[in-house]
Amino acid sequence: MSEKEDKPKKKTRREFLQQIGIVGAGTILAGSAIYAGFSYQNKKKPGDRIKVLTAENELIEVDKNDTTKAKKVLATDLTELQKEGREGIPGKRWVYVVDLSKCRNARKCMSACNEAHHLRPEQHHINTLLMKESKNTPAYYMPKPCMHCDNPPCVAVCPVDATYKRPDGIVLIDNERCIGCRFCIAACPYSARILNWIKPEKEEEDKGKTYNVELNIPQRLGTVSKCLFSADRIREGKLPYCVSACPNGVYYFGDENEDAVTNGTTKETVPFRKLLEDNGGYRLMSDLGTQPRVYYLPPKNKSYPFQDKDKPEAEKDVSEG
Amino acid sequence: MQRKSTFKIFVLFTIVLVNTGFLFGQNWVVPAEKKAKASPFLFTEVTSKQGEAVYTKNCQSCHGNPGKDNALKSLTPQPPDPAADKMQKNTDGEIFYKISEGKAIMPSFKNILSETDRWDIISYIRSFNKSYTQAAINTNASTSSPVKIRVKFDSITKKLIFSAKKATKKDSVPVVDAETEIFVMRYFGNMQLDSSQQTNDSGIVAFSIPEKLPGDSTGFLKIIVKMNDDATGEKSDTFKLKIGVPTIVPGLTANRAMWNVVSKSPVWLLATYFSILLGVWVFLIYVITRLVKLKKLGKETK
Repeated sequence: MSEKEDKPKKKTRREFLQQIGIVGAGTILAGSAIYAGFSYQNKKKPGDRIKVLTAENELIEVDKNDTTKAKKVLATDLTELQKEGREGIPGKRWVYVVDLSKCRNARKCMSACNEAHHLRPEQHHINTLLMKESKNTPAYYMPKPCMHCDNPPCVAVCPVDATYKRPDGIVLIDNERCIGCRFCIAACPYSARILNWIKPEKEEEDKGKTYNVELNIPQRLGTVSKCLFSADRIREGKLPYCVSACPNGVYYFGDENEDAVTNGTTKETVPFRKLLEDNGGYRLMSDLGTQPRVYYLPPKNKSYPFQDKDKPEAEKDVSEG
Repeated sequence: MQRKSTFKIFVLFTIVLVNTGFLFGQNWVVPAEKKAKASPFLFTEVTSKQGEAVYTKNCQSCHGNPGKDNALKSLTPQPPDPAADKMQKNTDGEIFYKISEGKAIMPSFKNILSETDRWDIISYIRSFNKSYTQAAINTNASTSSPVKIRVKFDSITKKLIFSAKKATKKDSVPVVDAETEIFVMRYFGNMQLDSSQQTNDSGIVAFSIPEKLPGDSTGFLKIIVKMNDDATGEKSDTFKLKIGVPTIVPGLTANRAMWNVVSKSPVWLLATYFSILLGVWVFLIYVITRLVKLKKLGKETK
């Protein structure tokens, strides 16, 4: 039994080395575990950061622990510009008159518009069309803005209340609500609407600007844009960009309630109903019941002849007979 | 024989003369009283410089640089070069009238440029004419006495009657033969009512007001009167008068419509939607009550 007594008393070298080995291995394991823990903590950090999109459309990263839950932004929380853009100017009913007999395709209206609304050259809020309806009828130039209908099909189909009609007659789009479904583009019989399919031209320049619903600036990728009757200019008592840019006296703009429209070139103010009465004013596709706010005066006794260079383009779709 | 040929030549000559006058449209007739109108100030280098600035902005695109013969050739009738004889043989009053009123493709500038601007342009145009001497100007204009304009509305004849009087040292004298225009203030500019008229010997002038002229919500209108007298210069005054039709028009979103906001949607749409909704709920409740009843019946029979 000497062996039995010996064992607890005296450790053999083997046992001692064994214990040392166990303690050493344990220490190394624990140490490496602690080290791994620390290095994991260090490594974990980037993964624990979350990506956040700021109001300025900038993607940034913040620590998860530093975030607090934001107050939910309700659809009714609009900026001042968006609010006044929905209300319009009280007591007014804007009308736009295009005198086709004066147009000579100078395209100053289009360039002024594109500059004001930061559009690319091929995008049009207003477009001067080369018209020829049939073989024997005369060719003429026809500027075509948005008709700002009193019965707007585009507004009826909008699923998110992004496009709306104001009490003063203007149909606007809130690009912050627009989801880019393009129902309105399909509904518009006048092809007045465009979509920002690719990056808007002056996106970099407009970064950080407060969105102005009456100017559609900044333009937003993937949303719809169209003629606004220069709602921002009207608010200041100035004529729309296109109207004041015309060098040929084509456009009149004014208030139906005041029965007065002002010519953008001569700045002469004339009675609205008498102007239509005397010149045989009409509206485009009035049979659709859209009730446009844009009136046309026929291209009778044209001040400028239809230019020869535009004839092939105008006669392209005219069928024989 | 010879007499006959002379006659022929004479006839031919007249025809040619008449035709050239007709073809080149040189018969832009200016009313006699406008022809004699003269600038209220003396043309100097300063006024000509100011005129140049106005000319460059408003006229140059069509009329070109004076004396360079680079007017826009594509237009008919062709805009004359200001330095050319065709322009220079006009009197100051004629040029002023033509700038102001316009004709065919020449736009009217009376609503764009002030009278001073228009006279400055003429001053600039005349600087290209060495033989031009300005007619004696009326120096009274600068030392004019104040003009008082009074207004009265005759509701029977629908006429607005203005009387103008000029205060002198002793008493006031009527402003005679002053050209007067009246305008109604509109959102984007002033709209002229009636045609321009001249004050009579007692300084009175009457304008007819169109019926149903829309005013503000209470029928008020802002009427601007401009009186131009050779002796006193231009005088303008604004009056707020209750001569319009009160205009209270609801906004275009006031009526119920398919395109309007939810609270303004058509009654038939709301009725259809809510009746369908109600129908579904009534059906569901009916089914549940029947099921409950069935269970009760099952218990009773046990």
